[in-house]
Amino acid sequence: MKCEANEKGRYFLLGSLLLCAAVMGFLTDGIRLTIFSFLEIQTVSARLVQDYTVLGVGGALLNASLVAMIGLLLVYFSSVTLAGPTIAAIFTMFGFGLFGKSVTNISFILVGVFIASKIAGKSFGAYSLIALFGTALGPVVTLLAFDLNLPLYFSLPLGAFAGVVIGIILPAVAGAMLSLHHGYNLYNIGFSCGFIGLFVASLMRAMNLLGPIEVTWNTEPSTALTLLIPLFSAASIIYGFLSSGQKVMTSAREVVALQTLSGRLPTDFFDAVESQTPWINMGLLGLASFAYVTLTKSSINGPLIAGMATVMGFGSFGKTLKNSYPVVAGVILATLVFGKSLSAPGPLLAALFATTLAPVAGQFGPAAGVIAGVIHLIVVESSGAWHGGLDLYNNGFAGGLSATLIITLIHWYKTNRTKEDFINEA
Amino acid sequence: MKRKDFLNNLIAEVTNFMLEGNPLRLVVSLHQESDGAHLSFFDDRKRNEAELMKIRKALNPVHNRPELAGYYGMMTGHDSSWDARLKLIGWQVKHASVNNSDSGLQIDLWLGSDAFNPADFTIDQRR
Repeated sequence: MKCEANEKGRYFLLGSLLLCAAVMGFLTDGIRLTIFSFLEIQTVSARLVQDYTVLGVGGALLNASLVAMIGLLLVYFSSVTLAGPTIAAIFTMFGFGLFGKSVTNISFILVGVFIASKIAGKSFGAYSLIALFGTALGPVVTLLAFDLNLPLYFSLPLGAFAGVVIGIILPAVAGAMLSLHHGYNLYNIGFSCGFIGLFVASLMRAMNLLGPIEVTWNTEPSTALTLLIPLFSAASIIYGFLSSGQKVMTSAREVVALQTLSGRLPTDFFDAVESQTPWINMGLLGLASFAYVTLTKSSINGPLIAGMATVMGFGSFGKTLKNSYPVVAGVILATLVFGKSLSAPGPLLAALFATTLAPVAGQFGPAAGVIAGVIHLIVVESSGAWHGGLDLYNNGFAGGLSATLIITLIHWYKTNRTKEDFINEA
Repeated sequence: MKRKDFLNNLIAEVTNFMLEGNPLRLVVSLHQESDGAHLSFFDDRKRNEAELMKIRKALNPVHNRPELAGYYGMMTGHDSSWDARLKLIGWQVKHASVNNSDSGLQIDLWLGSDAFNPADFTIDQRR
């Protein structure tokens, strides 16, 4: 729980942003309606894609702030550093608190990962990232607890039990999945959750318990939602410049230097520059994401904020403007080639979340990034159905599959170059 | 099994790094006790001071990062086709020393429980 000055500042900024979002929620809907919709959100099955802002912008923002605050407190009390990976996790949790994660459905998975850490004889801190990102399978809990029309005395313990079991098996699966793509898919837990989700969805389908996926997508414009990402981005940029305690040009040069990193897991940008300039990178990515969504003339809603907040968060842990744009270009290209609309929910979310493959572009160049983006869009349009929408990080799942394919091919090529054979080798 | 797996992964990652320098000779030495272990790696390629500093920095991180060691540390030694990443090791060992020996690079890793005393290890005493 001991914090350095830099880390205290990060806690202060993140806490302030979360508080600000909650206040914006109360100002938008008033106290009564905000609390009412917040409580309603806790009982939604939350499979992909269920935009909580449809139930109430205020309640959704309060839920998102509380979900992220739980993550922040967990980081603090598990004595791990609030830096690149943990900041990415908090931003991701905030975003998905607007579509899929709730205070109810994340809690049991956190308990499960805690139990796994005790089984493995490790501190909870060692598994803290798996716990924070692993809440992507939260919909399994709420689906079992509230959506199957079972008596609550049976369904509530069932949902809780499923969440705990998922939390216990997550660390084992997450480690194995890392080895498949070698760190080129930033949302590795999304990949792992998708893998587990395949089995859960198959079991539920076998018992006729899983209905088709439905998309709830808010198209009502909301000032609070529209302002959120620009506000977060501006705060990040200003904080990055002010708290670094160095000349503006020095910070700017460090941001440029960050663009040269591949971003392959695990690249903590706060370690790479030893100052607060990753916040500037995060802010720039937030603004770039917002600009793209605005260009598609889409109303800002819960899922889109989740996408932009996730891009921002990973601006301290693998994503830069330089390694992200080729992947987004690939998604746009594939969207146009297959005759889809750039403003449709699927391609729009894919353009934001496909940046999970940014390290592919960072390591192998822009062309590889564009190819990764094209493959990603093709896969992600189908992969949601495979796990029945139970894995909120569907793009992480598709990204893991895409990265595994690309990396496997490159690996095969690299390990079969005959010019590296010993002389006279058959 | 746990210890064997851990040592195996550390050896794989460091040898991956040293093989990137295409050495003609590479020696790995292990000294194990009940409360810890000492791993030494030698090759025949000397590095300049800047390279040594870079390796030292990667193997001796300023902060403990249990969240990175416990999760991303699982990648250690698993991907010899790509650039070696010594920082994956740095989060998991007690201490690392990096120097040029008479013939080339020497990397020493000490690992084990808090009770483990590196001074008990013969290779270190000899130095």
